[in-house]
Order: sequence, then C-alpha cells, then structure tokens
Amino acid sequence: MIAKVCKESDLAIFFNKLLEEYDVAAPKKKKSLYEFNEVNSFEEVTLDYSTTILPPKKYLIPQKENLLRFAEGEVAFEEPQFKKKQVIFGIHSCDLNAFLLLDKVFMDKFPCPRYAKRRENLITIALTCNNPSETCFCESMGTGPTLSKGFDVLLTKINEKYLVESGSETGEKLIKLIKGKEASNKELEEKRRVVELAEQKFKRKIDVRNLPELIQKNLNHEMWRLLGEVDLACGQCVLSCPTCYCFDVRDELNLSLDGGIRYKEWDACFLLEFAEVALGGNFRRDRAARVRQFMGHNLGWGGASQYNVFNGEFKCVGCGRCIKTCPVGIDITEVAAVIKGEKNVTEVTALKNVLASIGEKNARSI
Amino acid sequence: MQDPYKLSECIIKKIKSETKDTNTYTLAFSNGSFISEEEFKPGRFILLSIFGFGEAAFSLSSLIRDGTFETTIRKVGNFTQKLHSCREGDKLYMRGPYGEGWPLDKAEGKDVLLVAGGIGLAPLKPVILYIAKNRSKYGTLEILYGARTPNDMIFTSELEAWRKIPNSILRLTVDAVPRGVKWNYKVGVVPILFEDMETTPDNAIVMTCGPEIMMHFVVKGLIAKGFSEDQIYVSLERRMKCGIAQCGHCQIGKKYVCKDGPVFAYSEIKGLPDLTI
Repeated sequence: MIAKVCKESDLAIFFNKLLEEYDVAAPKKKKSLYEFNEVNSFEEVTLDYSTTILPPKKYLIPQKENLLRFAEGEVAFEEPQFKKKQVIFGIHSCDLNAFLLLDKVFMDKFPCPRYAKRRENLITIALTCNNPSETCFCESMGTGPTLSKGFDVLLTKINEKYLVESGSETGEKLIKLIKGKEASNKELEEKRRVVELAEQKFKRKIDVRNLPELIQKNLNHEMWRLLGEVDLACGQCVLSCPTCYCFDVRDELNLSLDGGIRYKEWDACFLLEFAEVALGGNFRRDRAARVRQFMGHNLGWGGASQYNVFNGEFKCVGCGRCIKTCPVGIDITEVAAVIKGEKNVTEVTALKNVLASIGEKNARSI
Repeated sequence: MQDPYKLSECIIKKIKSETKDTNTYTLAFSNGSFISEEEFKPGRFILLSIFGFGEAAFSLSSLIRDGTFETTIRKVGNFTQKLHSCREGDKLYMRGPYGEGWPLDKAEGKDVLLVAGGIGLAPLKPVILYIAKNRSKYGTLEILYGARTPNDMIFTSELEAWRKIPNSILRLTVDAVPRGVKWNYKVGVVPILFEDMETTPDNAIVMTCGPEIMMHFVVKGLIAKGFSEDQIYVSLERRMKCGIAQCGHCQIGKKYVCKDGPVFAYSEIKGLPDLTI
C-alpha cells in the first residue's frame, strides 16, 4: 500500500490528469443537493457533499439495459462497449460497500457478463465521509464513514490536505501521478481522528444485534399494518437505494413486428405489480406486505444471501437515502427501533398523523 | 463468460390437448443439444421464451428422453395465450432447467404420497414416471388428485396406466360434477381423499403441488394425521424474470423460489412472509 499526502491543488492536477485518460464521474451540486455525474473539471466537483440524490449504482446496473436483440430467426446478445475506463471519484464508503454487495449478486454463481464488463471497467476513488447528513447511519451498519478495502484509491481530508491511500495495483499506479509526499505516521493518526470526529456526528443509529431474528419473529407486528396505511407505494426508496438490485425483464417489438429487444429495467418491490402472478393473483397485494418486504430485505434477510450464507452482512448500508426521499417520512431506523423494542409504534414519525386521526387505542386494535 | 440469459432453440414436436384450456407440449432441442437426466430432474423448471411476449417459468411434466421433454401449460395470461396459438413445428426458445427438484433420493426405500390439485399434477407426473421406471427403489405409491370438475382433469388418458403400476393407488376427487357428466369417484376438495388414504407417516415422503390455498389445507390435514413438517414437500409458484436469484421477483423472505425451490420441505418455508401455506 502507498500512502501520500497532497494539497488540494495537487489533487486538482491529478484529477485533470484522470480527465485526459478516463471518463470521470464525481459528486457535483444539483440545486441544493448533489448528484453523481460526468464532470469536465475539478471545479465542478464537490468533495464535502453529504449524500447524492441517487446512488452511483447506475454505473454498474443501468436503469435500462438491453439483453438481446431479436429479428426473424436471429438472436444477438448485447454487451456494453467502452472506449475509456470509467473513474468514479469521491464515492463514499456506504456506496462503495453497496458495490461490493452488488458484486456478490451479479458476479458470484451466475455471473452476468454485462455487469462484469462494467465492473472491470470501473476505477473507484473513494472518499472518507467527514460530513454525514442527518439521515446517515452507515456507522451502525459497519459500512462507514471510511473503509479499509474494496477501493482502488481512498481519499481522506485531513486538515486542509488530502491523505491518499492505495487499495489495489491500479490504485498504486494512479497515486504515482500525484505530487505529494509520503504520509507520516502522524498523518495516518490524523486520519483516525477525522474518522472519530465523523462518527460522533451521526444522529441516527440502528442496533443491528439480533435484528434479523427479531424481524422474523415480528412479521405480524402491528407496525407493518400501520405503515401500510400511510405508505404511498411510490417506490422512491427502492430507486434511491444503492443496493436495491431487483429488475424486470421485458420485450419490446419494433413497429413492423419482425424484431425487437429484450431488456432489463430497475423494478421495485414496493410496486403493486412486483409480486403479481397469473389470473390476478398477487402475493403482496397489501402495501403493508410491501413495506415489510423492503424493510425485511434490508434489515432481516441478508445482503446477497441468495448465494452466500448470511454472516451479518445486511443489505442496508446506512446511506439514509430512503429516509430522505420518502414523501410520508417512513424512517428505516425507526422501523428497526420498533422491532428492537426500543421505540413504541406511537413514537414513529410517519405514523403520528394516522394514529392521531384514528386514535391510539383503535390503532392498537387494528 | 456464459451469458445466463442464453437461449436454446426448440421445436414443438407435438401438442396434446388435456382440457379446454390446458395443453401438453412435447419439445425437442433443434440442434440436438444434450441435457442429462440429472439436469432434468423431476420438479425442476424451465423458462420458455417467445420474442415479443417475454419469458415465463414452467415445470417439466415428463422425464427427458432422446432430447425431448414435455411441459403442460394452462392458458391463463398473456404469454400462455400466445403459446396456445402456436402449432406443431413452431420454434420456441428456452433456458434452464433451474431449481431444486423433488426429493427422489430421500424418498428411496419409502412410501411416496403425491397430493395434486388441478394443473399441480403436471410437475408431479415425472415423479410418477420415475418411480414406475425405478419401481423396486420405492414403497407404495399413492396418488391423490383433485380437480374442479371431471372436465378439468389432466392426463386422463394416462390415469389407467398409473393404476397398473405395481403397488400403487390412485384416488380421485372433483369439487363439483356438472349436470350430465358421469363421475364414479369422490366429490369434494382434495383433503377429502385423506379419509381413505392408506399411506401412514411411519416411513413416507409426501410431495404436493396445487394452488397455495389447497396446499395449506393439505399440509394442515397431513400434520393432523401425524406427518412431520420435514416429511412434506411442496412446490411453490411465483413469477420469475431471471431464474437465477437476481431479479428478486420470487423472493419470499430469505428464500428464492427459483434457486432454493421451487420444491421446499414444509419445515423450510413455514413462517415465511407473503405465503398462504
């Protein structure tokens, strides 16, 4: 591993070198919020961002992606083609941990060549988060505010400088492009202090101990019914979740009906059609069941548990986007607190209105 | 890297009408590709594909022989509607087979009780054929089969042959008999057949397939008769978009029907959410 310390101006020079050779995506301002997008200069980049509106999963699983093209008796499979490698610059540890989880889903037992190609084409320059937002709780999930592996390069802002560490051979090569001096023990120690400071900023927490078992035991908890009452089933939480990987596969015929495409597209378990079967059957017709599915998958059934034994790795990485985006204020950390018995249903923010309108006593008997 | 969505071309060799809305399709790989009997284990499923209409999962209703196999399909939706308009000689595409099949190894040396409702008999038919072929490996074979009416029964031309399998019993019931239809067997929902059932819990494996609500009562009835939760195997049905535990559509709690099932011991799925069994 190489560790260097550089000034922000040297980081800018390094960034511009990256732009010459790679496609570079980085966090930038979008009105009062942030987004990951293509950038053309270091000035566009915002490194003291909290969380982007959408997660960077779009660089690995695009919202819509062709699987194959068909025409009279011919089938041609499609794979993405890249002219340049894609650098993702300034990705927080929560989002990078999400990538590692997606790797387990799409590169383990039935590797997807499209995913593998995108992944191999990706260079990750991670950033220790020193600015957790109000809705963040990655520390509880063990996925932040910094990380020790899974990146090519890791940046940590210490004082007015950047500590730059490599996590792969690619990373080592890249760091050589940076003008700076080798990091001293004191500076590595400083990183620890920065991380500790960030850790103190978290306002939301989940106690994950026994959470999967407790969710399984509480599948009939009254909270699910009540959340189903307020939930809009809009699916924004799923779209903004960095680890929600579910998709639909559809065919689209061209106008002359002699050919078309088969494509996959993001799907959401919050939508009514998701668990639909033939003859109008639906295994999650109630919104309550859909809330429970989303929360249960994130906190109860393990991340990529379909191919790996659940070993305490949750699907949720604590980025807090689902909390931020929920139009009715459903908060996954409050859901966990109720399941853990730390909070009463009546204290759940999203339920306050519905409980007030039907009366607490009636709500209990629902 | 092999694309998991890679398709094999097959030809519809034969279409046999089972009921007014159900056909059995005999399919053969057009390039003669070989898929082993082990791959085509009873209880596994394939994804059939018609371009423009998508893919859908269907269980196999036969063993594989010389690269040909059968699947029995009821016309219930967009895809199956289109499939029912196909003719012999038409081309289809498929992937698979996928999933965990029936516990035929575990059932060796034991009595086998099959409980089927409606088209749920289709995935159990290869079990019957397999046991008939390997008769000495298994004890008594008892088949309980129910359908809505006598006209909704599938594989009627084969039932007599199944009765002739040594040491086997076939019991039939229908929910209702329309006026003018002759029916010599029971009338009532499937668990009514438990009244005369000879299989006892001592040394038996149960395999059941049908609507979830039927399986709910079958499991309940069998447990009341002393069968244990890990003696009873059920086959679940969910829509699937990938078949390889990635699309999430068939997820029930931590189980994926496509990968961990479709056949599960009841003890494995008991208490999972969004399940009516």
